[in-house]
Amino acid sequence: MLIFFVDRFSLALYALKDNLRRTLLSILGIAIGIAAVMAVGTISKGGNYLIFSELETFGLNSVWVFRDRGDKDPHRRVREGSGIDNDDYQALTGGCCPAVQRISAVVHASFSKRAVIQAINRYSNAQVQGVDVTLTSIANDVVIQGRPFRARDITSRRAVAILGPTAAEDLFGAASAIGREFRIGNRKFTVIGVLEAKSRDFLASIGSSGGQDANNRILIPYTILQQMLGHKQINFLHAEAVTQTQADSAAQQLIAVLKRHNGHNYSYKSETMATYITTTERILNGVAMIGIIAASVSLLVGGMGIMNIMSTSVLERTREIGLRKAVGARRSDILLQFLLEAVVISTLGGLIGLTLGTIASIVLAEVTGFPLAPSLTVIVIALVVSVAVGIISGYLPARRAARLHPVEALRYE
Amino acid sequence: MIALSDINKSYRVGELVLPVLRGITLKVAAGEFVAIMGPSGSGKTTLLNIIGCLDSVDAGSYSLAGEVVDRASDDDLARIRNRHIGFVFQLFNLIPRISALRNVELPMIYSDVSPAERRQRALHALQRMAIADRADHAPSQLSGGQQQRVAIARALVNTPELLVADEPTGSLDSGTGREIMALFGELNRAGTTIVMVTHEEEIAAFASRIIRLRDGIIATDEGG
Repeated sequence: MLIFFVDRFSLALYALKDNLRRTLLSILGIAIGIAAVMAVGTISKGGNYLIFSELETFGLNSVWVFRDRGDKDPHRRVREGSGIDNDDYQALTGGCCPAVQRISAVVHASFSKRAVIQAINRYSNAQVQGVDVTLTSIANDVVIQGRPFRARDITSRRAVAILGPTAAEDLFGAASAIGREFRIGNRKFTVIGVLEAKSRDFLASIGSSGGQDANNRILIPYTILQQMLGHKQINFLHAEAVTQTQADSAAQQLIAVLKRHNGHNYSYKSETMATYITTTERILNGVAMIGIIAASVSLLVGGMGIMNIMSTSVLERTREIGLRKAVGARRSDILLQFLLEAVVISTLGGLIGLTLGTIASIVLAEVTGFPLAPSLTVIVIALVVSVAVGIISGYLPARRAARLHPVEALRYE
Repeated sequence: MIALSDINKSYRVGELVLPVLRGITLKVAAGEFVAIMGPSGSGKTTLLNIIGCLDSVDAGSYSLAGEVVDRASDDDLARIRNRHIGFVFQLFNLIPRISALRNVELPMIYSDVSPAERRQRALHALQRMAIADRADHAPSQLSGGQQQRVAIARALVNTPELLVADEPTGSLDSGTGREIMALFGELNRAGTTIVMVTHEEEIAAFASRIIRLRDGIIATDEGG
């Protein structure tokens, strides 16, 4: 069996050597096709990586719930307020909602008179947010210096703050901010932690800041912010679903509780990271699909090239086919011989394309800094596609050769 | 060896049906050397192709070495040609891009002989044809007579009982043609049955029996 294939294979190589120049053209066609398909795959994988590494910094299981201010009911529209207060929040933190892992109140620092943020003679324009102890873990915020909030910080309304890297830099320069003091309006706060910088390059490039500058924030206990503002309102809820797929049910469960409390006064809506992720994935897949279709055209051209040279080859070697049949080749022998030639051409093309594609993705990985090594799956698919292109484009010419009548083939001039 | 009975064969050209063989009955015993002659269009090449199992018959029966072949499948015919029949053609029909040795190995590739044995048997066949010193040459580097020797070596390499030759000297000068006929004579004395088509009386004279065709029937059958 092995001898059988070695024989057939060496026959195929002989034939290819014979028509080297036009064989090379077809090989090139397949190589470009495979390399292009791989490049598209790698680029879309890189895009995925880029976008997800940024989406991840919001917390992939995030759910936001807030008052629906768009409701058109005039009896409701007159009402002031965020629609969520500390009593509601109490109910929501009491294990109301099985799909919710964690939840944090978020309070905006909407002072009636602008509060200056100041450390001796340095100033910050950071956005101040009142949050619960859970927020940093929900939003994937990493405290790289100092410590996160503790429950006591919230319940005792301690004047402590965690700074985003830009805010820390603005207020304290290069020196460590931990333990230092600064003012929000006339209230003095002590810095207990500094957050790791978050990348927003991609979101910034499509014109979104992701709602706020994630690096220019000052987080303080929501309880002390409410005290400073003199109310018990919560602007919105930032929760984390147990899993990404349960994000919608988490939102529904939270809204159900809020409606039970305030349903006659307010309506609510929610956003989930899962929706954004689905949308993003759909767009990325669409882009990748278009790219792969475009690259496949090159494969198609390569396949047609192979079909063409195989047809020419069958015609030129009609007498040889007749002779092979005369000395005992069966139809299957001839079919296999020409199919193997086609597969050898396309596989050589595939291997060259694979090499080009791999080099391209290594270069891309160097330039972009993303881990873009082609996976084993991609390599296997590229080779399977190459072999398939060879078989498909070689089949018709090979079948024509196999069906030649020996007498007529031998008489061919 | 060969038993043809009432063989009919016609070719269709568009609407026309041209009868080529019209009732050929013929027996050739093992060890004979037969020449088939006749004017062009008499059906001699068609008859040879049928004897060589390259072509099918429309009516009649054909048995070769005791095996009925007129209803055999394409693949069965391929096996019979491979095992029992060697072919020599007017235009040699060597594959141009491979060496003489590999050309001679060709029939053994289709009978699954191991590469080592193939090489050894091919060399032996070339030696018998006194052309072993050209084993590594491509056909284009050989003269017509040398090419025909390689082709005969290829025909013999599977030790067939029957050698079928279509104008084997038709592309050679008369001196070389006589050399090839001398080789045929040797093979025949060694036991190989030979059926040969020729239009040259001088070449036909090497055969022990001469069959003349006219309009698809046997006109004369001399010798044997």
